[in-house]
Amino acid sequence: MSLDPVQVMSGQVKELKVGPSSNGDSRGSWEEKEEFDKDKLGLTTKPKPVTGRRSRKVEGGVFFPKPENAVTVAVSSRVLFRTEREQKVFEQEGVEEYLRYQIEHENEPFTPGPAFPFVKALEAVNCRLRELYPQSEELFDIVLVTYNHAHVGIRLINTINHHNLFIERFCMTGGSSPIGYLKAWHTNLYLSADADKVREALSEGIAAATMFMSEKVTEVSESQLRVAFDGDAVLFSDESERIFKAHGLDKFFEHERENEDTLLDHGPLKGFLEALGKLQKKFYAKGQRLDCPIRTYLVTARSAASSGIRALKTLRAWGLEIDEALFLAGAPKGPMLEKIRPHIYFDDQMFHIEGAAEMGTVAAHVPYGIAQKHNAKQNPTVRK
Amino acid sequence: MVSTIQNTDVKQKDADRAVVVAVTSRAVFDCGAEDGDDVYGVGVAFPLLQALQRVNERLLEENPAESLLFDVVLITTDSQQQQQSSRIISNTRHYGLEISRFCFSSEEDFIESLLTNHVDLFLSTDRSEAAQASHKGVFSALLNRKVASSEQLRVLFCGDAVIRPDTDSPSASQDAAQSFSAQLGEMRQRFGLLHSPLSIVLVTSRGGRESCGTALRTLRSRGVSVDEAYCLAGAPRSPFLSLLRPHFLLNNDLED
Repeated sequence: MSLDPVQVMSGQVKELKVGPSSNGDSRGSWEEKEEFDKDKLGLTTKPKPVTGRRSRKVEGGVFFPKPENAVTVAVSSRVLFRTEREQKVFEQEGVEEYLRYQIEHENEPFTPGPAFPFVKALEAVNCRLRELYPQSEELFDIVLVTYNHAHVGIRLINTINHHNLFIERFCMTGGSSPIGYLKAWHTNLYLSADADKVREALSEGIAAATMFMSEKVTEVSESQLRVAFDGDAVLFSDESERIFKAHGLDKFFEHERENEDTLLDHGPLKGFLEALGKLQKKFYAKGQRLDCPIRTYLVTARSAASSGIRALKTLRAWGLEIDEALFLAGAPKGPMLEKIRPHIYFDDQMFHIEGAAEMGTVAAHVPYGIAQKHNAKQNPTVRK
Repeated sequence: MVSTIQNTDVKQKDADRAVVVAVTSRAVFDCGAEDGDDVYGVGVAFPLLQALQRVNERLLEENPAESLLFDVVLITTDSQQQQQSSRIISNTRHYGLEISRFCFSSEEDFIESLLTNHVDLFLSTDRSEAAQASHKGVFSALLNRKVASSEQLRVLFCGDAVIRPDTDSPSASQDAAQSFSAQLGEMRQRFGLLHSPLSIVLVTSRGGRESCGTALRTLRSRGVSVDEAYCLAGAPRSPFLSLLRPHFLLNNDLED
């Protein structure tokens, strides 16, 4: 098994559109009393107390970034927490009973779901960012966007409090589509258990992935966020995958070789990688490249010597750095992911998602591209 | 001088139990140019009136003897409109609106009119009118000028407490607010979770999750079950309001 971890040198940085970090909100006409939100005191239990944070006063004395300035990650309640029991009540006994059950158990916090470690890691990055840039709004902003009825609201708030999560924004749409709200939040990534909603988000140009509950979960870092991406149909478009599926492996190799200098088109998660890169550069700017609390990985079935070159050239041309690129040349991804221990791994093929989950990696499915038209269980000896 | 006229086309509601909603004539009809045109255009409040009507229909479907219904009163708030009484009445009939009463008052006595008619909620598109009425203890709200649903009555509660030091802040107004909320909550309970003709939406603009949690609990203690909740924590409100399409906003700072 030939594995070539390759460092990609980045070229020119691709500029993300980010609004100017304005000082405070322009609601000067209101003379409301600024209430100091005592709840924020709970946050000093975080590993690194951030002293600079309260120097920014927006209404009410609490710091909230403008949605377009932050890297907004929207999560649904079913991926942030475990709600299987409640789901069962819903499916078997209907919505009224489901809500009654939720209210009855309002003071019992939910346990962590598949997106929980990822969200905790985002918060750890925020702590480090605030230390270095106390005035900046370029942070992760986690928003709970759920189809749930507001009846569940108090239980969700209690749960967030219990786990000491810094989630101050949410939408409980009571059954209406959450997609419009994702746009209103300038969402950079949407994670949900509902594949239909994820597909809808993708079709609206929002990076999104479906998450599943897995019994086996390996431990991940609490201080460094690690995000791993598949290449084709995730970071890149599915154009090459289409060739492979239609004409086979040889044709695929030929096509990639011929088009080595032609950039691949972008895929649904490219923007999110870009957003991560932008935050990484903020650490590099302060001399923290080695100690950077964000690390990104490309885990692709492409082969380093051949088809992988086009992928690397494309990333370079986009000005995107990826910390480690792992070309598996068709080998199973599970063992490599188990070594990397990402907080989340994005892939377009359920076969790989399941393989990752079997080894305890939290994997999120991106239902995009040609792979969705095929059987989920692919030929295990796929080689690219 | 105020004249109050009953609309004989419409069944009168139970005075004790009905929720009296007064809407200004300028919101109901688009009175257009002064060229003596008899038929008015539809005003901003039309979707609201349709939604209120639908709630009443569904309430009566659930229980034909239901007395907790919306009782809609059309009120004029300036002398110009006051003088259009016959045209207003004929247009109401023309459009088949479920308006039980007309109050033809002027800018000087419309508030008095609201009080004598035991109006539970006064709706206007004019901010200063609504503020004036509010100061005198009439629970008031601004009608949403943007397109709102006529399928479902969507009421938006603004969960942030706004303390205005200069107001007399009559507790009568707060009582009126609470009383209306409780009535609305009771109405909501008549319907199931799905396919309700009435939806109660909570939005907190400032403060974090705790302020929204507090608002949810407070409303619950007043018998108001919220359907949808949005905690914006400083994010600009207008994109959300465009999506939410409420008919009116309650407890909103009228000096927005």
